[in-house]
Amino acid sequence: MVLKKAKVKAESGGLLLFEKVEDAVRAEEILSEADYTVRLVAPPPTFRMGCDLAIEINLVEQIGIGRLFREKGVNYLKVVPLKGAGRLLDVVKVTEFKDATMVKAGNMKVTFDKNKGTILNVSGGGCPDIPYLSASLIGKKLSDAPRPKDIGFTLCAMMMDRAVVECLELWRKRLTS
Amino acid sequence: MEEKVNKLMLVCGTVPVKDLPLISGRAVFEGEFLSVNGFKVPCAQGTAAMIGGALSVADCLKLEPPQALVVGDTGRGQGSYLLYEFLIQRVSTLSPDVLVLHYCLPDMTLMRKLCESVRSCAKRPLMIADAASMYAAKAAGLATEFDIFTPDLCEMAFLADPDASHPAYINKHLFEADIAKVPELVAAAYQLKSAARLLLVKGAVDYIAEDGKVVDIVSEPNIPELEAIGGTGDVITGIVSALAYAGLELREAAKTSALVNRMAGKLARPSPATRVWQVISQLPAALEQRRVTC
Repeated sequence: MVLKKAKVKAESGGLLLFEKVEDAVRAEEILSEADYTVRLVAPPPTFRMGCDLAIEINLVEQIGIGRLFREKGVNYLKVVPLKGAGRLLDVVKVTEFKDATMVKAGNMKVTFDKNKGTILNVSGGGCPDIPYLSASLIGKKLSDAPRPKDIGFTLCAMMMDRAVVECLELWRKRLTS
Repeated sequence: MEEKVNKLMLVCGTVPVKDLPLISGRAVFEGEFLSVNGFKVPCAQGTAAMIGGALSVADCLKLEPPQALVVGDTGRGQGSYLLYEFLIQRVSTLSPDVLVLHYCLPDMTLMRKLCESVRSCAKRPLMIADAASMYAAKAAGLATEFDIFTPDLCEMAFLADPDASHPAYINKHLFEADIAKVPELVAAAYQLKSAARLLLVKGAVDYIAEDGKVVDIVSEPNIPELEAIGGTGDVITGIVSALAYAGLELREAAKTSALVNRMAGKLARPSPATRVWQVISQLPAALEQRRVTC
């Protein structure tokens, strides 16, 4: 089999890196079958780890791709953005209202009722799963709500998940204080 | 203001309705829903709230209603790709006067193709982007093709970050910048050519910027609860789009939209649990108070 190893295009946004060539090839097949727009490429030297094959992806879609790989048992090393520091934002900001707490993680904000632990509102974001996730979470107890990382597909969903995790943490602390 | 007859304002984006095909038509309010060609969409966070804001202003000002172009997408992007492809192929035929791009899966390659198609329009539309359409435009280096961006504080930091292709990857120090740092972020974004002609930065204080500088600030009435309500920022995008469509100068449209949204928020007597349609329903009264007329 001859593998076409194209040059990386910055517009794809991200690369999936693999330990073994066969993992990369299988991953590409699975992603193509699932209608993801991807390409096998030769990773630039600065990103190379494991084998010399990588897959270009739309960086925004990494959460859905990661879930698909877990379901299908595909091994991969990591996802790297083609520009920037390569680290997802991991800090949050907290705003207190009289009876509610709002947690901001990146471009997402999740607000919960301090007394009931219910998700009151979700704001921010711009990817297409956000309105769907908001409708799925609002009105639910933090402890019962689905995790955005389990049902979302995009980086906005990942940021929403970080906010939900922080809300849960704050709510549990409140219950035990 | 100029007289506006038979003009087209095209408001586009994804909505969280599974399997909703790509539909186009005039949106009308049906209680807490928008109806487009008989399809009902919750008037909630996202494209629907933006359309709700634009529709409400257009109704009040007796403008030709905006044409909605929406498609179902719950995150996998199929709807987004249909939307991009439709616009790439049809935008020059449709020849909108105002083109508003909103929620979708950000795709730099398709955004580049769309901007190429827009350049082939006989008359360049006024280009407005928010949400992931703004992310794609910035990440693809196409921000200067747009007339208005409406970022919030985090998104403003994203525009000012030379490397980030999505707000989830912005530099931590930029994320930690408070609202008072907006003028610096604005200057950086313009320097990088990552800003539209006008920026309306939504937040506790709304900043309006042109040519790298803040030219106006709106801070009253101050309703902190609005930040928690999903869709309030989308509504501002809809309002400023409709006011620009009505012929207001962009700067005036931005200032008025920030004021009107705050007033509507105040009239809704919001809590952090308020729904955005409750704010939208106060827009006519807010416009009346502000005496916005055509």
